[in-house]
Amino acid sequence: MSALLEMTGVRKRYGGVQALDGASLTAVRGEVHALLGPNGSGKSTLDKTLAGTVVPDSGEIRIDGAEARIGGPRDAHALGIAAVYQQLSVVGDLTVTQNVVLGLEPARRLGFLDHRAARVRAATALERFAAAFSGRLPLDRPAASLGPGEQQIVEVAKALAREPRVLVLDEATASLHKEQVEVLFEVVRELRAAGVLVVFTSHRLDEVFALCDRATVLRNGRTVATVDLSSTTEDALVQLMVAAPAQTPVETPDAPQGASRHVEAPVSGRTAESGAVALVVRGLTTDRLRDVSFTVRAGEVLGLGGLQGQGQSELLLALFGAARITAGDALLDGKALPLTSPARAARAGVALVPGDRARQGMFASRPIQENLSLASMRRRARLKLALSAAAERRAARSMVERLSIKIGSLNDPVATLSGGNQQKVVIGKWLLDQPRVVLLDDPAKGVDVAAKEEIYAIVRGLAAEGAVVILNSSDNRELTELSDRVLVLFEGAVAEELTAASITENRLVSSALRLAPGETL
Amino acid sequence: MSAPTVEAPRRALAWRPGPVALAGAVAVVLVIAGELVSPGFAGYGQLVNLMRVAAFLSVIAIGQTIVIIAGGGGVDLSVGKVATFAAIIGSRVMAGDDANIVPAVALALLVAAAIGLVNGLGVTLLRIPPFVMTLGMIGVVQGLILAYTGGQASGRAAPALTSLVNGRIVFDLPGLLFLWLLLGLLAVWLLRRTTFGWNLYAVGANRAAAELTGVRAGRTLILAYVLSATFAGLAGILLLGYTESVFLDLADQYMLPSVAAVVIGGTLLAGGIGGYAGTAVGAIVLTVLQGLLTTLDIGGAWRTIVNGVVLLVLLSLYGRQRRLRS
Ligand SMILES: Nc1ncnc2c1ncn2[C@@H]1O[C@H](COP(=O)(O)OP(=O)(O)OP(=O)(O)O)[C@@H](O)[C@H]1O
Ligand SMILES: [Mg+2]
Repeated sequence: MSALLEMTGVRKRYGGVQALDGASLTAVRGEVHALLGPNGSGKSTLDKTLAGTVVPDSGEIRIDGAEARIGGPRDAHALGIAAVYQQLSVVGDLTVTQNVVLGLEPARRLGFLDHRAARVRAATALERFAAAFSGRLPLDRPAASLGPGEQQIVEVAKALAREPRVLVLDEATASLHKEQVEVLFEVVRELRAAGVLVVFTSHRLDEVFALCDRATVLRNGRTVATVDLSSTTEDALVQLMVAAPAQTPVETPDAPQGASRHVEAPVSGRTAESGAVALVVRGLTTDRLRDVSFTVRAGEVLGLGGLQGQGQSELLLALFGAARITAGDALLDGKALPLTSPARAARAGVALVPGDRARQGMFASRPIQENLSLASMRRRARLKLALSAAAERRAARSMVERLSIKIGSLNDPVATLSGGNQQKVVIGKWLLDQPRVVLLDDPAKGVDVAAKEEIYAIVRGLAAEGAVVILNSSDNRELTELSDRVLVLFEGAVAEELTAASITENRLVSSALRLAPGETL
Repeated sequence: MSAPTVEAPRRALAWRPGPVALAGAVAVVLVIAGELVSPGFAGYGQLVNLMRVAAFLSVIAIGQTIVIIAGGGGVDLSVGKVATFAAIIGSRVMAGDDANIVPAVALALLVAAAIGLVNGLGVTLLRIPPFVMTLGMIGVVQGLILAYTGGQASGRAAPALTSLVNGRIVFDLPGLLFLWLLLGLLAVWLLRRTTFGWNLYAVGANRAAAELTGVRAGRTLILAYVLSATFAGLAGILLLGYTESVFLDLADQYMLPSVAAVVIGGTLLAGGIGGYAGTAVGAIVLTVLQGLLTTLDIGGAWRTIVNGVVLLVLLSLYGRQRRLRS
């Protein structure tokens, strides 16, 4: 079959960073084509050159054999290309309908908006995702009132409303619940059957294998291979992604590829013998939590399971002093833990890596340096006030190295980093504060396989040093791999506790589902 | 993943002039234009004079910069009035006697800081929009001034203050310029090298994230307003030293220029981005422009229009720069 899409020799440089260095991608009609690679390898940049939001420095793009000049989003639209970006871009103040038809509002004469046509169009696009929304389609609700997963679905619907020949999904599943992922996959399969080319980026390889036909792997802005997924193992794919990293300061570079990185073999993090009880939570109640009580030992990793949105994020926020608590309290090492403000919680040794990186975790326009320093600089400042530029730089550098964050300069705005590297910055700022209690809300969101393992190793390391770790994750594999114990939450209350041997992916799914009303397996 | 890839040499090529450089270039162009239309405009004495005028605006705008960086629509419209009040208090307590300088300055700055504290509390605790809060504060301070003076300013600057501000120290430069340099360095240090400064940028860039990073956002904001009023008070004292005696609307006209200087200097009105170097250059641009318009004998409506056009041209240039960069 002749190629629908052919990209060759695509280059793009940002200041000191060569984001794309001769990348290529060839894909055919009716294919789901995975675009894979480590954080910062250029996946999003390549996607954006297709969508017209980034104009490459050089390179060639052919669609259906004809050379395509994509100078802006309009050109992409005209060519039948629609994209869902990694960063959510819904307009919170607009309704779901308005978001979906944004940019292609069916106009009446004189340019007045035809509301009825817009609604029909939005409803058609959203209908296929009905199962991903709890209850009715929220056509007239402001997008801001939806959960992150639902907003993501709205973005996909917006792309579909353009009836594309080529659909680009850049980490579109990162903020979806498992059930929503299934719905999305069904839609993608329908599109494939209808001859659409879907370019799919995700760091979750199980998703890639479940959905995609072929995969193109990028590394350092270059295409290293395109493989047929039916004849490739997960291991082989990971090897392609992490092999011979260009300039990595770790171990022996000429050891067998990937041998030094425990990318696949999950080293069990279970520390059977934990220390004394360190954190005691008693009857914690907010408007979304009901009477939550539990204890965690020093050195223990406590997972939070259940369907997403059952109060897991709220529980983490409450323990960080960022929710209004109506009853209950918490003790850390026998002393009352202040739950009245994040500042006090942080000073008492609590750290939170929040679930919504852009809104809660980072300062997009500020330098990487400040983003990394902020949580811990008071420890290094003289008189709690005067900062030493050298000391701050040293601290930031140490984190950049420890987490292998791919950056140009510490002075670049953190917004210029790739998604996964931004996430590492958000984690890194707290590691510098040496917290006693670490609250993690989906810490490996958008992080590549190798970095995921690094983050897991860090979580285990924190526990080994005697910290209390509480982990919420939308990825059951992550929960099984890291948790010593899992609390399954349902409607803001603890519904079940799973310990050591009973923490399996199957068990997690069944205990989450069994509790949902009217759910049949 | 792979270690940072830094390729330094190319960065130089990618460099584009930032707002500070652009504003600086505009200032130079204005000076040259002045010299062309009216020889002598760029003479040494004349330039020193312009810088002296710029100094007052610049010092008032230190606080304005801080408040605007704090974001959330932050702005302090009461700076002019507070500077006036501080000068009035200073003048009356000094009463022309060097022995009274310390208590006079201390009292003036304390009152200014207290006004800033009220602004800050109103904005953070009562959630009054900064524009409304500080606009309302103008009226309150005006009332305080009337009550304090009974409509008639009294006293006089102490001679030591006057000679500190006006005295020629080196290169025939007035002491004021050195004080400005000192305060400017203090402002830059405060913003770039203190926990307060970094917290301030963080709050301005993303308040929710700042709070979730353990930053005491409310406290930082209150301190921003206190500092704004205090720097305004300081500018009032310097003005007092310059004019020797005060009148009831001494510094009022600095309200809008202080905001304009900050914006011309490239600080984002939305908060989180900017700095004092830009503001200082912005104050110079505004002052040179005023000087030029005065020299050309352009008055009234046209002056306002020209001012507005220069502001718009610069801001649209900055907008273009930002787009080019991203
Ligand atoms: N606007 C920008 N300005 C400067 N550098 C940028 C910009 N956008 C991307 N980069 C850099 O280009 C490189 C590639 O980024 P890109 O977002 O394409 O990576 P990615 O493969 O999508 O990574 P991730 O898996 O983390 O999303 C990164 O090093 C990033 O820092
Ligand atoms: Mg990306």
